[in-house]
Amino acid sequence: MAPLYQLDRIRHHYNGHTVLAIDDWTLSAGSITGLVGANGCGKSTLLKLLGFVERPAEGEILFNGRRTTPMDDATRRTVVLLPQESHLLKRTVFANVAYGLRVRQDRHQERERVAQALEWVGLPADAFARRPWFALSGGEARRVALAARLVLRPQVLLLDEPTTSVDGASAQRMKAAALYAHRQWGTSLIVASHDLAWLHEICHDVIHLFAGRILGTGLQTLLFGPWLDLGAGRVAMALTDGQRFVALRPAEQADAAVAAIDPRRLTLLCSDQAPSQAQAIMEGILSSLTLDPRAGGINASVTVGHTEFRVHLPADHPALAGLTPGRAARIAYAPEDVRWYA
Amino acid sequence: MDFLYHGLLEAIRLLLSGDPETYSAVAATLKVSSYAMAASLLMGIPLGFVLGHLRFPGRRQARLAVDTLLSLPTVFIGLMVYAFISRQGPLGHMGLLFTLPGIAIGQTLLALPVVIALTATAVESMDANLRVTLRSLGANRRQLMRATLWEARHGILAAALNAYGRVMTEVGISMMVGGNIKWHTRTITTAIALETNKGQFAMGIALGLILLLIAFGVTAAMSLLRGK
Repeated sequence: MAPLYQLDRIRHHYNGHTVLAIDDWTLSAGSITGLVGANGCGKSTLLKLLGFVERPAEGEILFNGRRTTPMDDATRRTVVLLPQESHLLKRTVFANVAYGLRVRQDRHQERERVAQALEWVGLPADAFARRPWFALSGGEARRVALAARLVLRPQVLLLDEPTTSVDGASAQRMKAAALYAHRQWGTSLIVASHDLAWLHEICHDVIHLFAGRILGTGLQTLLFGPWLDLGAGRVAMALTDGQRFVALRPAEQADAAVAAIDPRRLTLLCSDQAPSQAQAIMEGILSSLTLDPRAGGINASVTVGHTEFRVHLPADHPALAGLTPGRAARIAYAPEDVRWYA
Repeated sequence: MDFLYHGLLEAIRLLLSGDPETYSAVAATLKVSSYAMAASLLMGIPLGFVLGHLRFPGRRQARLAVDTLLSLPTVFIGLMVYAFISRQGPLGHMGLLFTLPGIAIGQTLLALPVVIALTATAVESMDANLRVTLRSLGANRRQLMRATLWEARHGILAAALNAYGRVMTEVGISMMVGGNIKWHTRTITTAIALETNKGQFAMGIALGLILLLIAFGVTAAMSLLRGK
């Protein structure tokens, strides 16, 4: 079966500045994928391209194995994007949610379907359907925008920072509604968010974007420097309390390079365990322990200074005995296991 | 200043007594301005959308040209239309000179830049996220244009009112192209000009007040529409 998306040598520019450069990336159908990265790293641009709202300046996006264009109605109507700043039309809540159905000329049981979509996001139709667009709080408006997407039961739902700047209750409702779509209709979800805990909880895969490029996938920890040359082919990034993250010097210029360490390359040390000679060691606070339902085992997060290192462990790892979040934890790694992205 | 007071009384008398000459001018004014507004809105709104929404080479120059045409003098439009539809003109065979459709053509040219420029401004001032939102919900080009124009409806209504104000109150085109023929092409404004020339200030003021009354009616109707 052809992958859901296949990106081939994609380049996108704004005002002559390259904002996205992805050489090769595929995504299979029915998955939940997280997009993480700093503001301005290209997450929103990537989602607009995947949503066929914009056309890439260069390269090609295959959708279900087919070449597509932004004007291809059949494709565009199976892929739905919730933009970062969702705009409500100057109409009632009902007309906002029904808009997508109407452009598809699908008015079968419109009233019931709109009411149902509003229920999914926790807004009772009786109280909200007739409200004008301006009589909603920020969180309610965001939920109406999500309901307008869910009512279409899309094959792909792209969410651009869906829960940013909404209240806790709204965020909770929106997360539940997005997962409902995934479970009920097998909707593939692609979610850009700064809520790493949520992404790691629900996503099958997490993509790291940096300066418009994909810096690998998974739970790896990224370190952006600045890098200090230690000599003898080593560089280091200062963490806190005099601790440093040490790595082998990258082949290319270290200034702009980003280091990554895979969760499986980090070890959580038992309290009395000594690291091996070749290992570097850091001390931090265990911030969370979560079950990894897909790979099996446990994902532990250890915070050193402002950096959160994610460690993958087998469920029966001895270091986990008696360890609870909030306790001090030591992690070790071999500097040669650090990967570099130039 | 008695003539102001007399003018007011005269206006009430003319309206209440159903004076045929006055009503003929009112009918001609309403008819010709309706033609002109219908034509200028039908052409101007889509053109305004194109100018405000699309990015194409020469867009800035086109915008500049439309903005310049906002200050087109009515007598100049009258002159140009006269030249085109007079017997020697390229459209002379259509027999439009000294007819209401002839005046309507001139008034359409007067209203068109107003509708285009103000619609373009209304569309330009729309939230940049509107396009992304409409596209992401599956709107095609035509649906995108319709929804954008609907979102900009208050601005477009203002454009229509502005254009209507210019069309209703112009004299140059009606006088030159229409010829101010009694019972035929005499509009309220040309009648006022004539009455003033004759020294009939009260009659002129009465007609002016009627014009103002029509303008009030149209504005009030638009305002009601806007409220919805």
